[in-house]
Amino acid sequence: MNYPLAQRMDRMKASEIREMLKLTRRPEVISFAGGLPAPEAFPVKEMQEVAARMLATRGCEVMQYSTTEGEPDLREWIAARMAARLQTAVTPDEVLITSGSQQGLDLSGKVLLDEGDSVLCESPTYLAAIQCFTAYRAQFVEVPTDDDGMLPEELDRRLRSAHRPKVVYVIPDFQNPTGRCWSLERRRRFMEVVAAHEVVVLEDNPYGELRFEGVALPALKALDRRNQVVMLATFSKILCPGLRLGWVAAPAPLLEKYVLVKQGADLHTSTLTQRLAADYVHEYDLDAAIGRIRELYRGRRNLMVAALERELPPGVRFTRPSGGLFLWVELPEQLSGRDLLARCLQHDVAFVPGGSFFPCGGHENTARLNFSNMPEARIEEGIRRFALAIREMLAETAVAATANA
Amino acid sequence: MELVVDRSSQEPVYRQISRQIRGMVASGALPGGFRLPPERRLARALGVNRSTVLQAYDELKAEGLLDAHVGRGTSVRPPRQEILEPASEVVPLPWRQLFRQVGPEALDPLVRDLLAMSERQDGISLAVGLPAPELLPVQEVRDVLRTLFGEVGPALLQHSPTEGHTPLRESIAGLLARRGILCDPSEVLVLSGSQQGLDLAARVLVDPGDVVVVEEPSFFGALQCFRAAQARLVGVPVDGEGMQTDVLEWVLQRHRPKLIYTLPTFQNPSGAVMSLQRRRHLLELAYRYQVPVLEDDPYSDLRYAGEALPTLRTLDTHGYVLYLSTFSKVLSPGLRLGFLAAPRPALRQMTLAKQAVDLHTNTPAQWLADRFLREGLFAPHLLRVRAAYAARLEAMDATLRSCAPAGMSWQRPEGGFYVWCRLPAEVDARALATRAAAAGVSYLPGRSCAVSPPAEDHVRLNFSFCGPELIREGVRRLCRALGEAQAIPRADTAETRPIV
Repeated sequence: MNYPLAQRMDRMKASEIREMLKLTRRPEVISFAGGLPAPEAFPVKEMQEVAARMLATRGCEVMQYSTTEGEPDLREWIAARMAARLQTAVTPDEVLITSGSQQGLDLSGKVLLDEGDSVLCESPTYLAAIQCFTAYRAQFVEVPTDDDGMLPEELDRRLRSAHRPKVVYVIPDFQNPTGRCWSLERRRRFMEVVAAHEVVVLEDNPYGELRFEGVALPALKALDRRNQVVMLATFSKILCPGLRLGWVAAPAPLLEKYVLVKQGADLHTSTLTQRLAADYVHEYDLDAAIGRIRELYRGRRNLMVAALERELPPGVRFTRPSGGLFLWVELPEQLSGRDLLARCLQHDVAFVPGGSFFPCGGHENTARLNFSNMPEARIEEGIRRFALAIREMLAETAVAATANA
Repeated sequence: MELVVDRSSQEPVYRQISRQIRGMVASGALPGGFRLPPERRLARALGVNRSTVLQAYDELKAEGLLDAHVGRGTSVRPPRQEILEPASEVVPLPWRQLFRQVGPEALDPLVRDLLAMSERQDGISLAVGLPAPELLPVQEVRDVLRTLFGEVGPALLQHSPTEGHTPLRESIAGLLARRGILCDPSEVLVLSGSQQGLDLAARVLVDPGDVVVVEEPSFFGALQCFRAAQARLVGVPVDGEGMQTDVLEWVLQRHRPKLIYTLPTFQNPSGAVMSLQRRRHLLELAYRYQVPVLEDDPYSDLRYAGEALPTLRTLDTHGYVLYLSTFSKVLSPGLRLGFLAAPRPALRQMTLAKQAVDLHTNTPAQWLADRFLREGLFAPHLLRVRAAYAARLEAMDATLRSCAPAGMSWQRPEGGFYVWCRLPAEVDARALATRAAAAGVSYLPGRSCAVSPPAEDHVRLNFSFCGPELIREGVRRLCRALGEAQAIPRADTAETRPIV
């Protein structure tokens, strides 16, 4: 029977999946589940040199308290880089260093959201953002999204009908979980729509620098004429995640609030890790390092896409992202990603069921695959097992259907 | 029972005796029921008057540590719960019911950033709570990091678990054992600084409008944090023996608070150490009214005199105490590393909250702290800074004794970072602020540590950041500024007149 579970049980799904994914820590499991960058791309040698030098020349400073806003030279570097890459006009004063971009999300919740406020988001959207804003008792409104990005008319309609719309949360570049990248035209239309509403746009951009082909598009922040865009970004994907370094770029009056809230949350981000990153970007060629990461991930994406094309049965669709860490699989309607994960774990392969990325539920026949973390040989083998599990389950449902008929 | 009497000490002999006995009872060296030597015999053994020993015993009896029975002499009182309440009547905390129904947090304006004060070149900062920069173990950290990058490689730059780097949790459990706290590494949560522990506790336990009991005065960062969580703060005054637990009892009856926040050892800002009796009383009250206790203990390693008392967490037999501490005061504030030891249900909820807040604490700092502890670098470094800070405290205390104007009073603390000075009644705090700024010395105004406007004005003077010379000069400047401020009549002494 269908048990009439309480609605709150919907929120239990994420942790149920977390329990299942704990199994992926076994070394024999090929995991496409996590969003982990490839450790072989971390600049270990360079960081070792940076650490030795900075402790020799400015050791006390590195180990002492810092300001809540963050190290000034790092903020300057970020502003300059955003201008060069994303065509923004952000000043160093509009940048706050955060303890990872997760903190950027959390501070945004603290600064912007009251209980019952609506957060509009892409459908699907980033899992940790759902969890984070849920903690502030926000309601989610999913806005239909296609391969070019959020649909502007649908957004406009929902901004008019939603209860106290406060924030529009989007990931326009190589979105987590789908890998989609918004078109320039869609970015422009989006900004026209939001400009007519009193909402803050939270533009989450962790993957923008990881473009494998084509030209970089301007960030929403670069198209923002009303000062309503707050951008969140991170060093996790371009340098390494263990430093827990991210940043918020926001209009000055809003950034002031972020600073106050951050001070209460953790005083400031670690001086040690800020100095490691700042000295690294000053002394080494970050672009070359990102270039190597891009090459690595591009190769892995190619491999995964080719393997999926080769192995998947008809009726299964998937995205072919031109950047980022993830691709998105849509299974035939009758298959559930959760059941498929259980089956895949029997074959020692793991991924994240896609249903978790829809705050309002549904879309169970989906899956997110990460292609950045597994070495090449394991990607091919993992996709072979993934496809095998799908074929097995399709065969079983076909048998069941025949039996019922 | 071995006691030492130092006649050259300023501390009265009876106090020396009572202090040492208190320490032995606290550490368990003298178990409950232990028969103490008769006064006459002890007096003879120590070469002191019988009345001196009598005085020491009386003090300890008054504290409830000793019992006297005619014919059986004086003995150590058995552990508290046996006399006060049978342990079976203590209800385990219903943690689930206490957790916050997560909601929005207020954006109260925070006290302006003190860290900027330390950056003024000409001024002497007695305001900030920073460790001395020249005492930071830079060389050791450099060596440890070099080794780590070589040995560990990419894992040093990769994600770590939300709970913390597992070896560091073990090392912290070891550090806690040396503070008398026995806990499993799985009961330790690594934090991005202890400020994060305050923030997480507020998130997990405090709903808007809930009452949080704090000491009056208290750490301003904690006050900010609880205010931002829209808690209602109720202050319980602190005296020379810490939080006044008889007042606490009244507050608990009246306000039914959600949390008791206390800094029992070298309290910030007052420097007070909560007496053993009060510690026991506080826990007994927490049990009776079922209120969890957040024990903030950043300074207990920095003791320059006297005997250590057991932490609340050590004395807690029913899992009521969340114990919060930090590496910022001894190892390095820039790492942003703190830790929490807590009963498992609370720890689990705090871990979930931490995951939403910053996923986990940065990885290299965690490896670094673990190696620092494991390789035995922490203990010698602690000895070094302790000696240096003791000298700085002496410099501050001595200068105050020779320069402070009449009416100024303070208690020399036995540890920590601060001397808490009561201003002469006729000095207007605002007038002092402008004079001190002109003289080039900064301090923390007592008002920023207060829940409600204080009846008396204080200043908190830090003695860890500046060297002894600067401290002397800073205190002299402050005393001159005080003298100038004394000459100005107070603005707020006029009686309240009805407006007609």
